[in-house]
Amino acid sequence: MPREIITLQVGQCGNQIGMEFWKQLCLEHGISKDGILEDFATQGGDRKDVFFYQADDQHYIPRALLMDLEPRVINGIQNSEYRNLYNHENIFLSDHGGGAGNNWASGYHQGKGVEEDIMDMIDREADGSDSLEGFVLCHSIAGGTGSGMGSYLLESLNDRYSKKLVQTYSVFPNQMETSDVVVQPYNSLLTLKRLTLNADCVVVLDNTALNRIAVERLHLQNPTFMQTNSLVSTVMSASTTTLRYPGYMNNDLVGLLASLIPTPRCHFLMTGYTPLTVERQANVIRKTTVLDVMRRLLQPKNTMVSFPRSKEASQAKYISILNIIQGEVDPTQVHESLQRIRERKLVNFIEWGPASIQVALSRKSPYVQTAHRVSGLMLASHTSIRHLFSKCLSQYEKLRKKQAFLDNYRKFPMFADNDLSEFDESRDIIESLVDEYKACESPDYIKWGMEDPNHILTGEGSATGTVDPRLPV
Amino acid sequence: METTPCPTTPRWNVDRPFLTGRFHQETKGTSRFADSFSNTGDEKAIGCYDVGVQEVIVMDDVLCALVGIEGRYISIKRRVHTQGNDNYDFSVSFQVDASMDLALQEMAKRIFPLCESFVLIEQFVESRSQFKTGLVNHAFAATLRAFLLDYEAMVAQLEHQFRLGRLSIQGLWFYCQPMMASMQALSTVIRKASANNFAGSAVLNLLQSQAKAMAGDNTVRSLLEKMTQCASNAYLGILERWVYEGVIDDPYGEFFIAENKSLQKESLTQDYDAKYWRQRYSLKDGIPSFLANIAGTILTTGKYLNVMRECGHNVQAPTSENSKLMSFGSNHHYLECIKVAYDFASGELLNLIKEKYDLMGKLLSIKHYLLLDQGDFLVHFMDIAREELTKKLDEINEEKLQSLLDLALRSTAAAADPCHEDLTCCVERSSLLKRMATLKDLEVRSFSDSNDMEEPVSITGLETFSLSYKVRWPLSIVISKKALTKYELIFRFLFRCKHVERQLCGAWQVHQGVRAFNISGTAISRSSLLCRSMLKFISSLLHYLTFEVLEPNWHAMHNRLQTAKSIDEVIQHHDFFLDKCLRECLLLLPELLKKVEKLKSLCLQYAAATQWLISSSIDITKLEEPSDSSSASQKLKQLRLKNPSRVQKAITRDAAVTDSILKFEREFNAELQSLGPILSTSSQAEPYLTHLAQWILGIGSDK
Repeated sequence: MPREIITLQVGQCGNQIGMEFWKQLCLEHGISKDGILEDFATQGGDRKDVFFYQADDQHYIPRALLMDLEPRVINGIQNSEYRNLYNHENIFLSDHGGGAGNNWASGYHQGKGVEEDIMDMIDREADGSDSLEGFVLCHSIAGGTGSGMGSYLLESLNDRYSKKLVQTYSVFPNQMETSDVVVQPYNSLLTLKRLTLNADCVVVLDNTALNRIAVERLHLQNPTFMQTNSLVSTVMSASTTTLRYPGYMNNDLVGLLASLIPTPRCHFLMTGYTPLTVERQANVIRKTTVLDVMRRLLQPKNTMVSFPRSKEASQAKYISILNIIQGEVDPTQVHESLQRIRERKLVNFIEWGPASIQVALSRKSPYVQTAHRVSGLMLASHTSIRHLFSKCLSQYEKLRKKQAFLDNYRKFPMFADNDLSEFDESRDIIESLVDEYKACESPDYIKWGMEDPNHILTGEGSATGTVDPRLPV
Repeated sequence: METTPCPTTPRWNVDRPFLTGRFHQETKGTSRFADSFSNTGDEKAIGCYDVGVQEVIVMDDVLCALVGIEGRYISIKRRVHTQGNDNYDFSVSFQVDASMDLALQEMAKRIFPLCESFVLIEQFVESRSQFKTGLVNHAFAATLRAFLLDYEAMVAQLEHQFRLGRLSIQGLWFYCQPMMASMQALSTVIRKASANNFAGSAVLNLLQSQAKAMAGDNTVRSLLEKMTQCASNAYLGILERWVYEGVIDDPYGEFFIAENKSLQKESLTQDYDAKYWRQRYSLKDGIPSFLANIAGTILTTGKYLNVMRECGHNVQAPTSENSKLMSFGSNHHYLECIKVAYDFASGELLNLIKEKYDLMGKLLSIKHYLLLDQGDFLVHFMDIAREELTKKLDEINEEKLQSLLDLALRSTAAAADPCHEDLTCCVERSSLLKRMATLKDLEVRSFSDSNDMEEPVSITGLETFSLSYKVRWPLSIVISKKALTKYELIFRFLFRCKHVERQLCGAWQVHQGVRAFNISGTAISRSSLLCRSMLKFISSLLHYLTFEVLEPNWHAMHNRLQTAKSIDEVIQHHDFFLDKCLRECLLLLPELLKKVEKLKSLCLQYAAATQWLISSSIDITKLEEPSDSSSASQKLKQLRLKNPSRVQKAITRDAAVTDSILKFEREFNAELQSLGPILSTSSQAEPYLTHLAQWILGIGSDK
């Protein structure tokens, strides 16, 4: 079964969104809660094998690894109706069950301690697939387990499976509310470094925006985790439709990502989805056309990353856009819609290279009834994502200046002897990432970072010039 | 007609021909004439008699003459010119004894045309009753015979009256009147028919045109119409079997549809021109004028029925009283019957092809595999067949490719499609560009420079790999060899694009591998942007091909096929779809195609060089900034151990890398930009090219 993808769910948040994701996949492929294919779902044409494999009794098992350092969420899964879906060998719970205490360093350290067990599980899953395409990691970057252990996992995956793709669905903390996790900025920063250096693609799921969407678009007073998680699972399942329902293009993860990600580090994607509905929510049913969907996807209020409204933010540009359109689409509408969007100048693209909206038409699961005829997911690389990182940086700076809460970190080997260089290094990397995104907004990004652009253009290389002057030291 | 076998006339019939009319006289004639001439001396000239007696004698003679027998004073002169074997051109004239009373002579002469007509008609009836003259002539002769019976009855009655002494010559003349015009008209027809030796549809045409010409004379017209109707009955019988059963039951070669038995249905899967479908049944000359307008419909009706029979599908056309192709005339009932038969046949065949043979399923399946609508199998196939495909043409093992293809199909979404087994792979001998040039009938715009057509020296399976699809009778009617060839051409183009895209994805992944190093401002970052441009180009091209060309056109064709009424319409829509796709996929524009191929080969060269480019620049970078995968503390140590002298050494190599990356960039951009003018000049003739230009050049976008 070619081009398989293994999902790693780490920490409380990771397991919650992972579970929602599997629920959604089961629904779409007509797989029952026990992994048995429903009678109505035998017509085929979809690719269940990318995310599932079949046990000897033909029941489908997700290629998923569930990991946590505290038992609550995973126990919840094991007691839910989906308990028979997962392979129990693929569940990892730490022996003491004490969690990571929202401490990145603790999560990272514990991850290191159990590396062998986890890598055994990963190896087993990888060996069970024909030609593994890559890994998907679900986690949050604010807590302890998802961020710390997730970071450790990213590093080890990069080491061990350097040829495989690593994509993450990373939940960014809500910046509007005061978090109960005070060290959130530290955790985020340290995780961001790994996301920058060790992942091929990061799908940013901004809790701020998820909440906003739940409140504004879905009119929920106090959105629960369940509800925001279902938004996440919608995005996750929609972004994998081209892999699960093969079409003309984007039938493998690398093809999907390669066209979206311009340079190795600028691999943070934002998403948008429309029309959104949540279970038991009677929304007004809209008329949906391709143009409608595409237009809505470009509206900031539908994107799952939130940006400040400032003059600088308005300079933001799209680097690339992929719209995955699902449903009954008249293919002739696609061109017209793109034409219209182009004429109206609805998209602000980068100027230093070719850019346009790419469209993938994808089938919809025949087993899931939706009220809308057309739905769309946008995956986009947008320079405004840097504001999210800047915010993380500034929050970090505030805490760091006060030297607050660092003791918890010093307990662990990485920060022992008051060696906080890891923080500094992370900070530098994130800063250069922000700079790179910022440079993308300018028309001569191509020459960015070159000491002497004219010199390199002529190609008469001499002793200086090609070594980057901004090496983080 | 010449070759049509017909039963030979039995020997005895030749030796001892008819006992009637001329034939009787011909055999016995000579002696009898000798007698009659010797007798003339004995008999007195009629002029010797009293006028009253003369009248009786003349009437007796005329009554004989009316049935073609010579009398005492009325003689028959025949002139027969034999032309060839059976072609008689003959004329009969009656002559009267010159000594007869002038008034009587005059009267008799007036009646003679009737006699002449009778002789002519009878003679025609006899001669056309032979086997070789064909069904229409038989029918016509039979009707004439029936008509002559009436005539003879009339003569008999006149004779009876004459014997009773109630008939004068004026009375005779009077009673002959009604027959006069009819007989005259018939003899005109017959003269023409025998002069040209008409048979089959020519007879029918003649009859009809005569009936039309006689429109002013009601009796004659209706007589001729009746004749036409009767004569055409036999013909309509043939027609009926054809339009209701698809059988050509035509022993004398009169029907206007010919069957070429040498064309076999199996040839459809091989024959590029689909001769079987187009030439197995054909129209001949000599279509009856009343069928001329719907001859095409008649041809296809039977053709469809034959297809169904060939499929082993027993069709029973609904028969009813009305469906008999009998009455025709002003009401055009037969036209409606043929229409109904056509609708039935085409509906039935369409149904058969769509339902039982699942045409749409097959087309969809072809779309999945040849148009890559469900392209996941190709991803897997290219994974596992990479090694085999990169070999030289002679070294490629096609069986191995086929088994790899089967494996890929079985393990992807294609597994659910039972049609996937019909997919076969083949390795052609020439590249796509050259192949296009060999297909002359596709209106490929000619090359300006033919010397560019030389094959690249090392052509591998990647350039010439193609998929094919086994199509069986009767679907091969729609998906003919020609149609399949077009599908294959499109596939090969797509396959090449996919290959380039894959290689560039590989290059992209190589770039991803170095993200741990800070590459800003280095050749690598430049290279990653070039990689992005190339990826953008190829995915835009693919995007254009699939979502702007294939999918909308397919959609349109699919809708048209739903409403198609006949298989010919289906074929037409399908061919239209393919031609449109072929044109919009640039395959008919060699100039453009060549540019695109050039760009693709640049992408491939770049992708192939990436590994080397990156790794040779990594070496240097690695020295100054070690991999992040090792733990942080180790890394710091390594950072501090940085060796500046070795950095210096590595930079010179970096310059070579930079050089070649910039060279790729320049070439690629120059090629891409040169596409612009070509696209914009051609886009006036081919408007879809503006779409392509928008996609790959971003013309008219945000700038």
